[in-house]
Amino acid sequence: METGQKTKEELSRTVANIQAGVLAFVGGVIGGLGLFIMTAWLLLEGGPHVGSHLQLLSNYFIGYSVTWPGSVIGLLYGALTGGVLGWTIGFIYNKVVGIRGG
Amino acid sequence: MASHPVVVIGAGPAGLTTAYELGKNGVSSLILEAGKQVGGISQTVNYRDFRFDIGGHRFFSKVPMVNDLWHEILGDNFLLRPRISRIYYNNKFFDYPLKATNALAGLGPVEALLVGFSYAKTKMFPSPNEDNFEQWVINRFGTRLYRIFFKTYTEKVWGIPCSEISADWAAQRIKNLSLKEAVLNALLGARDGKIVTSLIEEFHYPRFGPGMMWERCEELVEGLGSQTLKGIKVERIHHRHGRVESVSGRISSGERVNFEGSHFVSTMPLRELIGAMDPQPPEKVVQAAQGLRYRDYLTVVLVVNREDVFPDNWIYIHSPEVKMGRMQNYKNWSPYMVPDPSRTSLGLEYFLWDKDEEWTWSNDRLIDFGTRECAQIGLINPEDVEDGTVVRMEKAYPVYDHQYQDNVQTVRQFLETFSNFQTIGRNGLHRYNNQDHSMVTGVYAAGNIMGETNDVWAVNTEKEYHEEGRGAPSKAGDRMVPTRVQVNVENALSGDEEEIIEFVFARLDPVALGVAVGTVIGLVIFMATLVLVLKGGSVVGPGLALLGNYLIGFEVTWSGSLVGLVEGGLGGFAIGYVSASLRNWGMTTYAHYMRWRGEVIRRRNLLDKV
Repeated sequence: METGQKTKEELSRTVANIQAGVLAFVGGVIGGLGLFIMTAWLLLEGGPHVGSHLQLLSNYFIGYSVTWPGSVIGLLYGALTGGVLGWTIGFIYNKVVGIRGG
Repeated sequence: MASHPVVVIGAGPAGLTTAYELGKNGVSSLILEAGKQVGGISQTVNYRDFRFDIGGHRFFSKVPMVNDLWHEILGDNFLLRPRISRIYYNNKFFDYPLKATNALAGLGPVEALLVGFSYAKTKMFPSPNEDNFEQWVINRFGTRLYRIFFKTYTEKVWGIPCSEISADWAAQRIKNLSLKEAVLNALLGARDGKIVTSLIEEFHYPRFGPGMMWERCEELVEGLGSQTLKGIKVERIHHRHGRVESVSGRISSGERVNFEGSHFVSTMPLRELIGAMDPQPPEKVVQAAQGLRYRDYLTVVLVVNREDVFPDNWIYIHSPEVKMGRMQNYKNWSPYMVPDPSRTSLGLEYFLWDKDEEWTWSNDRLIDFGTRECAQIGLINPEDVEDGTVVRMEKAYPVYDHQYQDNVQTVRQFLETFSNFQTIGRNGLHRYNNQDHSMVTGVYAAGNIMGETNDVWAVNTEKEYHEEGRGAPSKAGDRMVPTRVQVNVENALSGDEEEIIEFVFARLDPVALGVAVGTVIGLVIFMATLVLVLKGGSVVGPGLALLGNYLIGFEVTWSGSLVGLVEGGLGGFAIGYVSASLRNWGMTTYAHYMRWRGEVIRRRNLLDKV
């Protein structure tokens, strides 16, 4: 245990802080593009009931649907949600690190 | 009698470097050399225009200051030479550094398999102690490879069992990489790895051998106002009240001569030095000095009437049936080392104690002996040997036995009581330094005389020094206080690099990430459930209810939202915790792998360092 700790400290004595803004940006990009691509993928696949499951997101994202205009709305919602989640994770992580670090 | 500003004992690389550095700063020195030639063990001997080196000196240093000095002294008189060397063992030649296919072919399939098993066994059950060289090598190469490729040669060189050689000798010669260095090497193009690899494959060498460097240095030093007196063996070092006042010795005619000075720098072997102190040091110090051992070295040079004998620069002779330890082919170091390209000069190297009978043999007997040994291993036809000579070099290698550290420490403590006296170089520090590190000690000694505070004893202990690391001018008056200065080191990280590594390899806190991810996931499930519950309908949230497959007791209800909050939070905590731990483990594993790879490269040329 002591050796493992020593090895860790040999490499870096620093505990990382997360840049909440950067994580928000990354989360936003992943969320926005993710939802856009998922929607577009189903549209391109086509079929009788296009994206019936993904459509359930409209319960939370007002105006979203598995259509081309919906994919753009999904892009915005996904980006916003991903951004908020990323920022929140970064913010809470940094707070906990601060508390634990004394 | 005139008093000299500085008296330097020994005109080897360390002593001449001291005088050169002082000369450049306007301080003249008197250099006393016991031999007829400068360069110490780095001299080049000239026998009927056949030049030969005492042991083979590749010019390569990881210390930029030394590289600069070499080029400052010798200009462009360096050749870049390919390195070819092999091991002779069991009537076969093996490429060195070892190459897998060549080694396998030489060992044969059965032996190769046994070597593999032995290596695997050592890796699974390494020796917990690494007190001696044998344990050190076995832990890295396995018992069988150690016996084949390291034991015999090392014991020929050092004259004692590998189990009696201190492990810190190996550790000094093959320095460990820190994790940070290893990572930086990997990230920035394997700085040290490339250096080591290139050193293995090619090297610089002065056109007329290493002695050319020191003969030129002597000229420069004299041009700067210093004087070199050869053939003066210092026998007495007169001191009083913590200061050396003069040294005395004899010239070849037997006449006694005395030299006074303000500062003294000695490269004499510590054993001789303590014996020469007048008055004698305390008995404890004398005993410690007498406990220091040295290995002597003898080269039998054969002039062979053949244009090509073998392509190697040198061959390690591992076979126990001959006493020779290594064989040099000087024209493969530099074609200028022979006066006639149709001839070849070979150096047969013997490592001896001065009490060994071979040490006292006549030159003719040694030449006969060497010729027979060469013929025995099939390298030459004795009839081709036209001429030969012998060079003996006493105390060529300070021995690292189990007692040496304590003995050196005792001697050092005594020497540090002098305010105007320093010891430097391989024998002056009883440290198996190469030429470059000896030069660094010379530079540092010169710096100390000019007011810096450098600890020459710290050179080549852990890291190579940079010029920038030299100590600041002392404020301790004329009494030098050797202190361990804070130095920048070769391969050490710059401030920026240190920051980058700290930043990139900063650890994620698993608990903090667990709490963050857990909180977010718990809240997301909680709110997603509440939204659907508030919306209501005949069948509430059938899609989200599927989470009940994973979250025990979860359903899209008010109470289910709390279950989702708690269980989602716990699941999220686990995800965050494991993710951070894996990331940290991955980074550390990467660094360890890079260090292992770097050290394998460094160990490739272990024999060269024996």
